[in-house]
Parts: sequence; C-alpha cells; structure tokens
Amino acid sequence: SGELYCSLPNPRNVRFESINMKNVLHWSSPEGTGNGVLYRVKYSVYGVGKWIRKPECRNINRTWCDLSSETSDYEEQYYASVKAFLNGMCSEWVETTRFNPLTDTKIDPPMVSVSSTDRSISIILAVPEKWKRSPEEESISLLQVYPGLQYNVSVLNKKTKKRWFFSISNNTLVVPWLEPGTAYCVSAQIHVTTPLLDSGFSKEHCIATLKDK
Amino acid sequence: GACRVSMSTAEIRAGFTAIKANIQSRDPVRSLSILSHPHPLNRVKSSDRCCITHHLLTFYVDKVFKHCTTEDSFLNRKISSIANSFLSARRKLGQCREQNNCECGEESTEKFKQILTNYEGLNVTSAAMKSLGELDILLDWMEKSR
Amino acid sequence: GADVFLPPPQNISIISTNMKHFLTWSPVIVQGATVRYSVEFQGEYEREYANESWIPVSECSLTTATVCNLTEDISATVAYRLRVRAQLGATSSPWGTLKGFFNRATTSLTPPLLKVMADGYHLLVELADMGPAFQFRLLYWRKGQESRVQQQLVREVSSVLHLATMEAGAEYCVRAQARVEAIGRSSGFSPAQCVQAPGDTSLW
Repeated sequence: SGELYCSLPNPRNVRFESINMKNVLHWSSPEGTGNGVLYRVKYSVYGVGKWIRKPECRNINRTWCDLSSETSDYEEQYYASVKAFLNGMCSEWVETTRFNPLTDTKIDPPMVSVSSTDRSISIILAVPEKWKRSPEEESISLLQVYPGLQYNVSVLNKKTKKRWFFSISNNTLVVPWLEPGTAYCVSAQIHVTTPLLDSGFSKEHCIATLKDK
Repeated sequence: GACRVSMSTAEIRAGFTAIKANIQSRDPVRSLSILSHPHPLNRVKSSDRCCITHHLLTFYVDKVFKHCTTEDSFLNRKISSIANSFLSARRKLGQCREQNNCECGEESTEKFKQILTNYEGLNVTSAAMKSLGELDILLDWMEKSR
Repeated sequence: GADVFLPPPQNISIISTNMKHFLTWSPVIVQGATVRYSVEFQGEYEREYANESWIPVSECSLTTATVCNLTEDISATVAYRLRVRAQLGATSSPWGTLKGFFNRATTSLTPPLLKVMADGYHLLVELADMGPAFQFRLLYWRKGQESRVQQQLVREVSSVLHLATMEAGAEYCVRAQARVEAIGRSSGFSPAQCVQAPGDTSLW
C-alpha cells in the first residue's frame, strides 16, 4: 500500500476484558472518527518480545478481538496492541497494560442446583470451567486453577425474610431442620483468597420444602 | 523443602496490586523477563522450592528494592512496606532453612543464575524496576507452590 | 519576627490496638501561631539496606493534628522507628523520635464483638468486622456437653453466619477469638453466649 501517514488519532481505552479466562481485547474508536475505521491487532508474550499479528483481526471494523487462544497459558503474561486505519491514514500502535490472566480475569458465580425434602434442602455448587478452544477440548475447572477457592452461600427464608450465610470449602451443603412447606432462596459466590478474586453472587434459586406429611 | 513459611502473601499482593500498573508502565522492555524467561519458575522442583524462595527473597532485598526509589511518595511507601515484608519473610525462611538444611539442586541453581544474568543484562535501575514489576509472577509461583 | 526556636514534640507514643497503629504527641505551643507537624517512619529494611533513610507520611505532613494513623505504612512484622517534628513557617524543630522501636506484633488484640442467635433449630452468629488481617475462631458446644466442643474458622465476616443445627430443646453456647496470622497471635475469647433451640429435649 502507498505511504501511510500515521496522524490518525489513536484508538482509546485499549484493554483486556476477561471472564473465566476468556480473554477479549476491547478498545474505543479514535476520537472524532465516524464510520469506516479499520483496525489491526497484534500481541506479544511478556519476556519473549516478538509481536505476533492476529490474522482474524486484520482490517476489522469492530472494536474487539478475541485473543483467548493466544493467551490461554495463564502462567505467562501478555501485551496486545491496536492500530487504526482510515482513508490512507493510520494511528500509532496503542498497547494494553501487562495482562496477567491469573489475577486479571473475573470469575463467574458458581452454578447452583437445589433439591429439597420436607425438612431440608441440599445444595450442589459447580465451579465454572476455564475458557477452552472447542467443546472437544479437555475441560479445566477453575478449581484446578485456584485450588484454595471457597464458597459463600446465602440462604433466604422467604417467610421470615431472614438470610443466613454459610462459608464452605467443599461444593455440597445440606441444611437440615427447616420449616416444612416454606420457600427458601439460595445464591452462592466463589471466593479466592490469593490472588484476591471474588465472583458475584449467582442469581437466586428458590425451592420449597415439602409440606408436612 | 520442609519450610512452609506462613508468609502473608495477601498483604504483599495487596501492596503490589496498588502500584502494579504504575510500576509496570515504567518498564518499556517487553522482550526480556527477569523471572519467567527463558525458564519459567514453575519448572523448579518442589524439593528446591524452599531454597529458591530464600534466594529470591534475598535477591529482592539485596539488589532490587534499593534501586526502586521514585518521585512518588505513595509508591515509595508501598515499596517500603513490601521490602520490609520480604525482610520479615526471609528471616522466618532463613531460620527454617538452618533447621531443615534445604539445599538447592543443580537445576534450580542454574535457574537462579539465569535470573541474575537476566538482571545484569539491563542497567540497574531498569532491572530493579522490571523485577519489581514482576512481583506478581513471584507471588503466583509462591502461592501455587504452597 | 525573629526566628522562633521550636522544641521537638514531647510525649511521643504509639497506640496500637487490633492492628491499627496511631502515633500521638503533645502539641508544641507558640502563642498566637498555628504549629504544624510532619511524621516519618523507618523500617528495618531502610535501616539495614537503604542508608537509614526515613519515609515521609504524606497524610501527616504539615498537619495541625497531634495524631497520625500509620496503619497502612506499618504493614510488615519488623521493627519500625517513628519520628515527628514541629514546623512554623520556614522554621522546623529538631525531630522527636519514639523511644525504642515499634513492631506491630505487639499490638493489643481485643476479643471480637459477637452476637449469637437462634432461628428455629439453627445456631447463627454475627461478628463485627475487625479488618482484613483478622480471622475468627468460633468454639461452640451443647450445654452440659462441655467436653465435646466444636470449632469453626471464619476467614471473612459476612452478616449472619450459620454455625450449626441444634437439637430440639437443647441449649448451645458460643465463644469467639480473633486471630491475626501475619503476627501469629490471637485475642482472648469473648464471653460465652447461649441460646436455646425450640421444642422439647424428650423428642431425642
């Protein structure tokens, strides 16, 4: 292509957004540019130095690029960079801060399943899986990535409106001696001490204890 | 090794998280890592972890922190807090090492030499600031190996 | 006016409770003038590896208060030296230095504030938050079975914590102790609090 003048304003707010180690690069379009801006993306492994272009994100008009595959080794750290093009002009490469998947990802709440008898409820929690390239790929639970993780479980008695919290290490909890014929709502959160990572609380799963026989 | 120091990495991690973006932004060299390349810390054998941890704590106390003074009072206070925590942890680990005689194997000694080589490959201020910016690599490894 | 001689602040002391550390001193009185103070700290690292340098505490630089919160800065279990000086315009007093050293391991630890409740057959507790450095050790037992005390370690305070399920009609007691892993010490126990489960014990 002809000589490019890099006087286009830079893409803004270039950063990784990561959930369960699905690591997606996001940015905002350069100030004052309407439609028609195209972007290129490259990334590098910290300490290795080679910048690698991401072909699937070459001359794209969207403002995100999924780099999960390229950043899946969470024992490495990464940089990514974006450049904008418009009408024969280009911006400079704009880099992210150093991205550490282990500490910079967000964790989804655990999956919650609840069952009940007349006087008890049983709660089973499942930790989300780490992002993987394809359904066929072997699953890695975030429990393997953060072995010391714990759960905070909230149980709300819908009749009395009283809420109790449980702090547990294993993923099952039985709450006995409840009131028959009463609705209880359960939600749970994952808590990792170091690095300090907390998921949000899951949405509430409500269930009623059976009526007294 | 047998030395399992109840070092509160949580406090150090909190201090480092507060300054991480600032410190790492002062390190423009993407192509060199002090701790993680060419050989990642995670390859250190579990029997050598006690010895390598002690070496690394000493490396930071003796070589790194003193060259990390900045113009920013907030950074200096956090760096002081981390440095003093390293000193405290090294003392505990040192006592444990003497009792348990945990020695470094050949492979790990090579790994630590590589770290020193990486460090001496830069001018001292850049090397110190880069090493400080890699504290999360060290903490990730220490917490994982507990 | 002629330069005022400012004496160093006196009665410098540290008040440390539950891992919160405050340096205090007596005011330096200069008639008709507002004296300000600046505080600095020096950890063991600074003494042994950084040419005995002192680090200013910005929140307590040119302050008119005679107290300074050092909790954020004294965040390692080593010996610290602390000093404060008075300032009036361009004039500074000599430094007044705390006698000896301060190590956070000597902080005084008070028993946690505990509230014990029963909700049906469920034994519940509420603990007052004491800060990120604290964990709690809860001991609970059925009255009359003091030899079968059970224990739960609580890392984080959330509002109402479920401790156990109680047997009908039985009375249960709970005591709590605060623990700071970073200094390897625990507080004394809070007084025991007991609650009763509904129903009749003959059911069991």
